[in-house]
Amino acid sequence: MPEAFFILSVVVVTALAFDYTNGFHDTANAMATSIATGALEPKTAVGLSAVLNLIGAFLSIEVALTVSNKVIDIQGPDGAPLAALMGTPILTIVFAGLVGGILWNLATWLLGLPSSSSHALFGGLIGSTIAALGIDGVKWAGVVEKVVLPAVAAPMVAGLIAAVGTWLIYRIAANIPDEHREAGFRWGQIGSASLVSLAHGTNDAQKTMGVITLALIASGDWTDTESVPFWVKASCAIAIALGTWMGGWRIIRTLGKGLVEIDSPQGMAAEAASAAIILSSSHLGMALSTTHVATGSILGTGVGRKGATVRWGVAGRMALAWLLTLPAAGAVGALCWWLAHTIGGSVGVGVVFALLCAASLWMYLHSRKAPVDHANVNDDWGSEHGVDEAILSDDHPIITVPDTHHAMSTNGGATAPRRAS
Amino acid sequence: MEVLTHALAAIWQVLVVGLILGAGLPALFALGMRSLSSGRLAGADGHLSSDAPPVSALGRAGAFVCFGIVVLTALYGIAIIVHSEWALGLIGIVE
Repeated sequence: MPEAFFILSVVVVTALAFDYTNGFHDTANAMATSIATGALEPKTAVGLSAVLNLIGAFLSIEVALTVSNKVIDIQGPDGAPLAALMGTPILTIVFAGLVGGILWNLATWLLGLPSSSSHALFGGLIGSTIAALGIDGVKWAGVVEKVVLPAVAAPMVAGLIAAVGTWLIYRIAANIPDEHREAGFRWGQIGSASLVSLAHGTNDAQKTMGVITLALIASGDWTDTESVPFWVKASCAIAIALGTWMGGWRIIRTLGKGLVEIDSPQGMAAEAASAAIILSSSHLGMALSTTHVATGSILGTGVGRKGATVRWGVAGRMALAWLLTLPAAGAVGALCWWLAHTIGGSVGVGVVFALLCAASLWMYLHSRKAPVDHANVNDDWGSEHGVDEAILSDDHPIITVPDTHHAMSTNGGATAPRRAS
Repeated sequence: MEVLTHALAAIWQVLVVGLILGAGLPALFALGMRSLSSGRLAGADGHLSSDAPPVSALGRAGAFVCFGIVVLTALYGIAIIVHSEWALGLIGIVE
């Protein structure tokens, strides 16, 4: 088998693997609230989200070939690779970046922490680019503008909007009989969560399609920078849908149960805020990460409802993970590039790919020690799960806002102060 | 510095649009449900009493308008997902 074809194949497989981790890492963004409030059965929720991701991915008509152009300098303005990097050099950079992104996604999944897949990919690519081209290969102003600032802004903006939405909903719906309120908001919740899933399928699958198309152009197997081969579109759509369908239950648990105890009206407020921000932000000049938006929204619904419990310790751990995303994925990306480059050729790429498989398998086996699945995803937070222990240490007392709003205090249990054990 | 000013302007826009759509629409949805319950509010126990009157025509109409706006906006959201250029052009935003 010719060397170029082997390397291209490995890059394509790795990109699809990244797409798959992207899917299960982000199921929680859309469905954690619907699962936590019981609006949907866990398996129904991930099934619905998977189908909508599939449709969303097929609906995408824009070509996201220049998605990494803002942060690294390996492509020309039209998205084609720089002439000096054509072939194996750019393929190795992209491959090492993808490995960094996948390993960060798996590590955070193991800990049950939501973290942005786009940031993981950017981090990996930045690391491998620095290793390959030096510090000048990175567009630092772009990193600040497109990665750092949005990450700071997203949770705050989303949190504020969701808090206002929650406050308004509870004001308006205070006297609606319980049975009607619950049923009505469940529908609203499912609708808004579906919109988030659909938008996710379009936005995120597009990034992997862009990466694979870039690799095909680099190896000389595709020349059109204005379109994506159909098999690329189809395989990316299927990979992200399968990933979503697998569930990512550890992260669903953290977002749905760990951060805030939520009821249906809060769930709807959170998903509606997420959908509105995700759909509008990229057109207003600031593309925000679905994960950062969804997490901020869920946090906001806890702040906006009097008497709700917000576990700031869990939120703090997520913030820490977000800070580490870029440097950690970057370090792995740089290391992988160096290893692949030093060994060289197909063998170098093959060795790194084997290491990726081994590390992934190790993390998967580790996750089986304290499995979280559709059956126990909604258990009370702080019970026997290993994932809860990993996220919540003993010294994070739960902060409780005093319940002064009697009309809506339907869930007495949520207001009682508890400690994680 | 320019980067920061540009970013703050974008964040401000996202916040305003997000408040209108992300907080306003759920509030409108709640208003629709409230309208559907007008005259049939919960008793002290949080439940509907057994002798509550049926939903009034006005309540139904109000709910229809509220839910209608919410559903239409959601459909517009799907239009943005599918074809942002066309959908944004409808309201005069040129990419």
